[in-house]
Amino acid sequence: MADKPRKADLARAPEPPPEPKPVVEAPPEEYLAFRLGAETYAVPLGDVLEILRVPSVTEVPRAARHVRGVVSVRGSITTVIDLRRRLRLADPVPDRQARVLLVRREDETVGLLVDAVEQVYRLGPGQIELRSSMSGDTADYIRGIGRPHATDMAVATKSNPSNDMLVLLSPRELLRD
Amino acid sequence: MSGADHSDDAIRDEFLAEANEIVEALSRDLLVLDQGKNEQTVDLINEVFRGVHTLKGMAGMFGFHAIGTIAHELENLLDDLRLGRVDMSREVLDVLFAGIESFQKLLATPGDTDDLEVNSITRAVEQVASESRQPKDPFKIYEIADSVLAVLTEYEEHRLRTNILEEVPLYRYRVSYPLASIDVALEELKKRTKTLGEIITYLPSVGDGDSGSIDLEILLASRASFATLKESVAKDGGRLEPVPKARRAADSSVPERSTAGTLPPTAERAPEPEPASTTATGMTAGTTEAGAELAPARNVGHSVRVDIRKLDYLMNVVSELSLARGAVERMLDRARAYPELRMFAGDLHRINRSLERNLTTLQEGILGVRMVPLKQLFERVQRGVRQLAREHGKEVQFVVTGAETELDKLIVEELTDPLMHIVRNCIDHGVELPERRAGLGKAPIATLAINAYQKGNHVVIEVEDDGQGIDVVKLAKAAERSGIADAQALQEMERDELLALIFLPGLSTASSVTDTSGRGVGMDVVKHNVAKLGGVVEVQSEFGTGTKFTVTLPITLAIIRVLVVSVAGRIFTVPLTAVREAFVFNPKAVHRVDGKDVVTLRGQTLVLSQLDEQLELRRVRTSTRQYVVVVSVGVRLLGFVVDDLLGQQDVVIKGLGASLAKVRGFAGAAELGGRDVALVLDVPTLLEEGLSSATPLLAGGEAK
Repeated sequence: MADKPRKADLARAPEPPPEPKPVVEAPPEEYLAFRLGAETYAVPLGDVLEILRVPSVTEVPRAARHVRGVVSVRGSITTVIDLRRRLRLADPVPDRQARVLLVRREDETVGLLVDAVEQVYRLGPGQIELRSSMSGDTADYIRGIGRPHATDMAVATKSNPSNDMLVLLSPRELLRD
Repeated sequence: MSGADHSDDAIRDEFLAEANEIVEALSRDLLVLDQGKNEQTVDLINEVFRGVHTLKGMAGMFGFHAIGTIAHELENLLDDLRLGRVDMSREVLDVLFAGIESFQKLLATPGDTDDLEVNSITRAVEQVASESRQPKDPFKIYEIADSVLAVLTEYEEHRLRTNILEEVPLYRYRVSYPLASIDVALEELKKRTKTLGEIITYLPSVGDGDSGSIDLEILLASRASFATLKESVAKDGGRLEPVPKARRAADSSVPERSTAGTLPPTAERAPEPEPASTTATGMTAGTTEAGAELAPARNVGHSVRVDIRKLDYLMNVVSELSLARGAVERMLDRARAYPELRMFAGDLHRINRSLERNLTTLQEGILGVRMVPLKQLFERVQRGVRQLAREHGKEVQFVVTGAETELDKLIVEELTDPLMHIVRNCIDHGVELPERRAGLGKAPIATLAINAYQKGNHVVIEVEDDGQGIDVVKLAKAAERSGIADAQALQEMERDELLALIFLPGLSTASSVTDTSGRGVGMDVVKHNVAKLGGVVEVQSEFGTGTKFTVTLPITLAIIRVLVVSVAGRIFTVPLTAVREAFVFNPKAVHRVDGKDVVTLRGQTLVLSQLDEQLELRRVRTSTRQYVVVVSVGVRLLGFVVDDLLGQQDVVIKGLGASLAKVRGFAGAAELGGRDVALVLDVPTLLEEGLSSATPLLAGGEAK
C-alpha cells in the first residue's frame, strides 16, 4: 500500500536536468522484467541465476513477513522472498504464472517470488533514469526507472505511456535486512 | 568479475590447508619429543626443523610474513638444537609449542595479531637460546687430524662430539666405490650401519689411480663389537679399524699421517662450506645424518584434500537422484495397474532396485569421505593438557586410546572447544597438586585419560581423571546458593541428577565446588555446544577418586534420525537424540503452576509447551487427540504438545541460509522424500524458551 504514493511521485518526477552527453555511450545492459500486480519491475539479468516454477514452499515460523519460506532446489535449502510483501504490495493470489527467480545474496542463493516473468530488455544509459537523479524519497532497493521504448530521456515522458515504465530493482539492496 | 579473486582465494586456501597440515605434523613430533629423550630424538628434531623450514619458504612465497618470521626464529632455535648448541629442555619445548600456537592463530586469523605473535616468539627464542647455549668443548680424545675436523660441517662436528661424550667407540672405514654407483653403495652402507651406529661423516680421499672409482674415508660411531661391525659394515670390501685414542701428551696439532690424517683436503671437499649454512637450506646434501635421509621428506600418500562443500554438493546430487528414483517407483506403481505392462513393470522393478542399492552405497561412500580420525583433535587437546598442567604446576600424564575412531569432520571441528573445556575443568578442578596427591597416597603424577570408541551410529568420547572428584554436597549447596534449585528439590534428587547440576547455567563456578581459579569453565556451554551437534554429555564422579565425562555424538551431522510431527497443519521434525518419549496428551491431567501448564510424569513435574503457540503459528486444530513429545537437554525436560506423530525417519539435515540466521528455533531443514521440506527443531533453544519464565523444579537462575 505504502508504495502507491511513491509510485505517483516517480511519475511526477520532473525531467532530469540536461546532462552533458557522455562521449562514449556505455553498452546497453540487459534486464529481466517481471510483473507484480499491475506494475512491471526488472532486475539485471546477470543477477538472475535461474527461473523456477513455484515449488512447494515450506513456511518458516518466526521469520520476517516477507520470507515466504524455504524450498529445496536440487537438494539445497533455499529461502524464498515474497517480493510483493517485500515491496509492501497487496498479497498475491497464487497463479500458474508465478515464478521464483534465483538470485545470489552474498554467500547464499535466494529465491524471489514474482507474479509472472515478462521479457528481457536491453536498456542503454539513455533509457535509464537513476535513482540518484530522481527527486523525493525512494527506497534503497530501487535502482531507477527504465524506459525501454524511449530513445531519449527528454521525450520519454511525453511520448510513452506509463505502462512502458520499468521499476529497476537492485537485488542486493532488496535482500539486505 | 571475481575470476582473479577466486584463483587468489584458491591459492590462499591451498596454502592454508598445507600449512595447517605441516603445523599439525610439527605438533605431533613435538609431543613425542616432549615425552623425553630416546633414540628417535635426533630424527625428530631434524623432522621438525625440515617442517619449519618448509613452512618458512611457503609463508614467504604467499606473503604470510608473520608466519615466515616466526618460522625463521624457530628454525634458528632448532638449528641450535640440532647442532647441540642448545640443549633440549622444557623451556626450549615451551618456546617451540608456543610457536605452534602462534602458527595456528595466524593461520586462523591472519593479520589480527601478527606483530604481537612475532614479538613474543622472537623474545622467547632469544631468551631460551641465550640461557641454554652450550660452550663448545674441545674433543681431542681421539686422534683425528685437524684436516678432518676442519672439513666437518657444524652438524657433523656436533654428532662427533655427542658420540665422544657418550663414549661411543669410533671407527674408520676406508672403502672404494665405483663412481657410477656410489649413491647406491652409500645408501646400502647407511642402511647396514643404521641399526649398529651412526655414520658421522664420509670424506673422499685420493684414490689409487683408478679413475672409475672413488675412495672414501668414513667415520662412524658404534657400540657394536668390532667383529659385528666388520661383518655387516665392511662386507663391501673396505678396511675397518678403530680410531686410536690420542696419547695423553700428544698435542693434537701434531698430525699422524698414518691415522686419520691421511686425507688431505681435496678438491671435491673444498666447496663444502664450513660451518654448514644454518639458514637457507640448513641441510647440506650428502652430509646429513644417515637416518634422516632415508625418510621421505613428506608423506604424500594416496590421498587428496577435498573442500567439504564439494561433498555437500555431491550429497545434494544424491538427494536429487533419490527423488528421481522415487518418480521411477511411482511410475512402476502406475504400470502395475495395467496387466499388459507386466513385463515392463518387472524390468522397471529390477532397475529401480539396482538404482536404490547403488544410491545407498553412493551416499554411504560420500559420508565416509567426510569422516576423519579423532587423532588430530586429541593432539590439540594433548597440547592443551601440557600447557594447563604447566600453568597450574600440576603433573599430568595424558593417555589416549581410540584416536583412530572416525567422526564427521564438521563435528570434529566443533568439538574442539567443548573438549578443551572439559579437559581444562579436569585439570583446574579435578587434578590435585603433586604434594597434595602424595599426601593422599595417590601417585604423584595424575592421569588424564581420553578414550574414544564407536558404538552403533554414535561415537563415545570419555575423559577421565584420577583427581579429587566432585563433592555433591558442596555442589548442592552451591546450587542452592545460586538459586538454581531449592533445598527441597535438591533433597529429592538422585546422585546422578545432583552431578548433572554442573551443566546448568548460573551455577557459579567461583563458588565452593571449584574452589580454585576464577576462570569460569561454563560446563553449561559445553552441554549446549555438544547438544548442538546432536550429542549428549554426562558426568560420573566419585568424590576423592576422580571424574569421568562421557560425550556421545552422532557419527555424522549430515544424517540424523528424526521424529516427524505435525502441528497446526505443518510438519516439523525433532532430532531423535533429544526425544525422551511421547505419550497421548490428556488435557484433564494438566495443572497450572506459575503460569505454566504442567503434567506429572512418573512423579516428576513436566512443563508443557503448545508447539503451535511457541512457534507463533495460527492454530489449526486438525485432530482432537494430541500428543506430548518429551524432549530433554541434560536433566531439563519439556513436553511439546503436538497434533500428531508421523513416525521416524533418517534425514539429511541442511542448514538454513544466512538470510534466516536470525530466526531462532530451527536447526535446519530436511527433505522428507517427495519435494517436501520440513524444518528441524532446535531443541536446546526451544527448550530454554519453553522453560524460561519459570519452572517448578528449576525456579529462577535462568532468567539469562
